[in-house]
Amino acid sequence: MRPSPHDALNRWLAAERDDRADSADSADIADAALRELFEALPSLAPAAGFADRVLARARLQPETRDVFASRALRLVLLFSLIAVSLGAIWLPPTLRALARLWTLSDVVRLGARAVAEGSRGLAMVLRVSEWLLSLGRALSAPLMTPQVMAALTVGLLVSGLAFRFLRDQLTGERSLSYVDPL
Amino acid sequence: MVDHVKTDAELVASTLRGSQDAFRELVVRFERPVYSLVQRMVQDPATAEDLAQEVFVKAYRRLDSYDPQWKFSSWLFKIAHNTTIDHLRRGVPETVPLESEEEGRADLSAMLADEAAESPAAAAERRDLARSLERAISRLRPEYRQAVLMFYAHGASYQEICEATGLPLGTVKTNLHRARKELAQAMTALGWGPESETGNVRAS
Repeated sequence: MRPSPHDALNRWLAAERDDRADSADSADIADAALRELFEALPSLAPAAGFADRVLARARLQPETRDVFASRALRLVLLFSLIAVSLGAIWLPPTLRALARLWTLSDVVRLGARAVAEGSRGLAMVLRVSEWLLSLGRALSAPLMTPQVMAALTVGLLVSGLAFRFLRDQLTGERSLSYVDPL
Repeated sequence: MVDHVKTDAELVASTLRGSQDAFRELVVRFERPVYSLVQRMVQDPATAEDLAQEVFVKAYRRLDSYDPQWKFSSWLFKIAHNTTIDHLRRGVPETVPLESEEEGRADLSAMLADEAAESPAAAAERRDLARSLERAISRLRPEYRQAVLMFYAHGASYQEICEATGLPLGTVKTNLHRARKELAQAMTALGWGPESETGNVRAS
């Protein structure tokens, strides 16, 4: 039979009512009895799967979603599969017809044209990048003087210190001042 | 052969090296005390679940700032304290549930699991007492409630409470002393005490 918490309750309340309530003995008795009483409280626990929810929330693991759970997606896949299967019947004659239309030299010519167009595009990108680079050089030249560099460095230091201070204020210990709304 | 049980500091080190299992182990190890503390502070299971998750997520993101010379539980309770206090400061009205389903389930499961199960009358009295104590705790101001829950329910030391709340040792001891007095007055007002054994009607 478990000991009744009523005994602990009586010991605690008696220790609190004791005339020598401020003595260390009464305080120790009250503490021990109250601890025993707290053991009578039900143990609270979160719902099952709490750790999984925490990890998902911290994005440690992606939330697992079943891609094939959607009925519409399953139907689309099924019809696509049927269409591909039916289309495969006509694939060999289609390929033979395409082969008669195009010769090997046509394919080579097409490939060379694609490479030439790609090279022209790359050259355009390089020209634009060079222009941007020269613009950046022209803008930054006045900033290379010692005075400007010193001012920039001081500015960076000050802003870095200010940011650090602000971060400490936001994340540091909070002093507890409770204002009773009543 | 007994597997080595990793300490909290070892699990933290493993998590920082990228081990998800280590962090999961930390969560499983501390989910009950954190959730229990948060729920008794905010008095709402749904909010407590959300806040408890937030506590662990914050702990994960700040894990590199944890100093192994301190107890991990103290560091975690400090995050729980700040998170809970921020929530209460937002002015969300606290609720005092008449009876939660969790309490009923926890009590029932504890009673069923107890091989030396007490009589139904004793079990009902135990439940009644627990409910009154919960109600008395909910009436304490947050700083007293936090100190009481950490000290009596979770067995934290004065030093750990100081680290978690950021309050000086003297203030923590004063808060605990006053909280105990207020709890005693509340329980007496609810009709508990030696007289209640004689069958006097208790306040509901």
